[in-house]
Amino acid sequence: MNEVPVSQDAPQDLEQDVTPSNIFIPPTVDTPKLLSGNTYSYFSPIPSAIASDLSTECVIGIDEAGRGPVLGPMVYSLFYVPQSLHYSLLRDTHAFTDSKALTAEVRSNLMRTLCTPPATSAGAESNDADDAADAGEAESASLQTHCGFSATLLSATSISSYMLPSPRTAPYNLNAQAMDATIDLIQRTYDMGLNITDIFVDTIGKPEVYQKNLERIFPAARISVEKKADVTYPVVGAASVVAKVTRDVALEVLWDEYVKHTSMTDPGDHWGSGYPSDGRATNWLKASMDPIFGWGSECRFSWGTAKDLLEGKSAAAIVDYEEEDSKTVKMTDFFSSNGEDDGAEDELGRWYGRNLSEEVF
Amino acid sequence: MLEARLEQAALLKKVVDAIKELVQECNFDCNDSGIGLQAMDNSHVALVSMFLKSESFSPFRCDRNIALGINLNALQKVLRAAQNEDILTLKAEDAPDVVNLVFENATADRISEYDLKLMDIDQEHLGIPDTDYAAQISMPSSEFQRITRDLSAISESVTIECNKEGVSFACEGDIGKGNIKLRQYTNVDKPAENVEVNMTEPVALTFALKYLGNFCKASGLSEQVRLCLSNEVPLMVEYALANNSYIRFYLAPKIGDED
Repeated sequence: MNEVPVSQDAPQDLEQDVTPSNIFIPPTVDTPKLLSGNTYSYFSPIPSAIASDLSTECVIGIDEAGRGPVLGPMVYSLFYVPQSLHYSLLRDTHAFTDSKALTAEVRSNLMRTLCTPPATSAGAESNDADDAADAGEAESASLQTHCGFSATLLSATSISSYMLPSPRTAPYNLNAQAMDATIDLIQRTYDMGLNITDIFVDTIGKPEVYQKNLERIFPAARISVEKKADVTYPVVGAASVVAKVTRDVALEVLWDEYVKHTSMTDPGDHWGSGYPSDGRATNWLKASMDPIFGWGSECRFSWGTAKDLLEGKSAAAIVDYEEEDSKTVKMTDFFSSNGEDDGAEDELGRWYGRNLSEEVF
Repeated sequence: MLEARLEQAALLKKVVDAIKELVQECNFDCNDSGIGLQAMDNSHVALVSMFLKSESFSPFRCDRNIALGINLNALQKVLRAAQNEDILTLKAEDAPDVVNLVFENATADRISEYDLKLMDIDQEHLGIPDTDYAAQISMPSSEFQRITRDLSAISESVTIECNKEGVSFACEGDIGKGNIKLRQYTNVDKPAENVEVNMTEPVALTFALKYLGNFCKASGLSEQVRLCLSNEVPLMVEYALANNSYIRFYLAPKIGDED
């Protein structure tokens, strides 16, 4: 069955200690793509109830997870549901809300329900539903048949390589990356042919600017960009659950990969949530730093935590690159310091300064 | 025993200003023919070679060869205490720990005296061969300084090309490109403004503008500058001083920069 053999009241911060076999791996986590260190997106198939009538008015919610951590991907998730079911199905039946207000198990079960056809998910569903009695239409509806979702996993590698300045590209900051990921998710949802009436976006930055931008790009829908939208709108809450579950599982998959490939005999303690404020993440960074390469593709090198470790005194190996101007030839390639060559031009060379340096000519 | 008296402190002040950007510490080599200095910058791309002939001093006395290892920053500090018109006298023992500098003002009623500590500097001397340069260009120092400054705004390097048309300084950078052409010019009344191009074969070489900018710090020493180029050898930039004294800068060309 789909029951998870872990007690519901397990504290949230212990979620990482659940062994991987107990974790429901959502389709948004594509292990090979994740391990490749590339950014990728997943789109669920259009749910049957919407696919049968594409003119169904839908609302979209967008939220993110894993913006702050130094490890693992940042996940942007988009969730859509028929407008008529927005509150009844998501809030009343399944109690979607801000992912931070739900335990890891509840989140995982919701995700499982979302991805499982109703017949087999009945058990899990009744387990989660607080109060389905007066749900009416929602009673016959299910998450899997009526809701679609998608997610973009911005890999740690691409986040940091965009953020770090390079001679060829201007730095591309995290907010711009986030905005572009959001726009891309919405656009591709439109491209599927859905009839979108409302777009709800949870934001960290200034909502007004963000909203104006989105309204310019998607003039057809009503757009609400708000702080704490994941609490206000169940569809955003649902997106936040998808994002959070995806990120947590992704981090777990990356950990397994690290353990499998680490050269250290003892992989050491788990990296925890991957947040710089989490002692386990910083301890792991310290313990596993390679003096040349730093860390693998799971690490955001652009984060202060990582930079400080690399540049700090315990520090990475210092590599002296050749003069940037390698095309310039040195004076010593032309003029010899061999005393016998001292011509009339260099009268003093006869008395002074035989080559005492270590350089060999 | 060294004793060298300069009529104008300005000369030494300007020399130190001119080379201090390239070299921080170096030996002033003194012998009976004068005071010389040769040093490379840290990256060994540029070299400065200066020689103040004994005739530039009055009087000049140097019984034995002496190397004065001097930190140019420290020397500059001491020289700031001298007025341009002061008479400057350099003195040192045969195996000196210090060099003694005396500044007398023009009316000889003020005498200041400084001892500057010396240091041991291991320095390599490069033998610079006599070269028949393919192109020799003389121009006003201020003109060369201006070209260097203007092109630095556009690029890090400049291509100096010399052909029968004259000499051109071209560069290309992110914002665009620039090209300055100079033709032969003779002004009988003001020879300092002459531009003279002597060429035996066409030359085109590329150099880092950063160093040329440093060389131009010597512009105050001489009204004219002479650029000497041959393919595949360092550029020589010479500021001639009175009495056959000189300050010369050598700069290695950049290679393979055609793309």
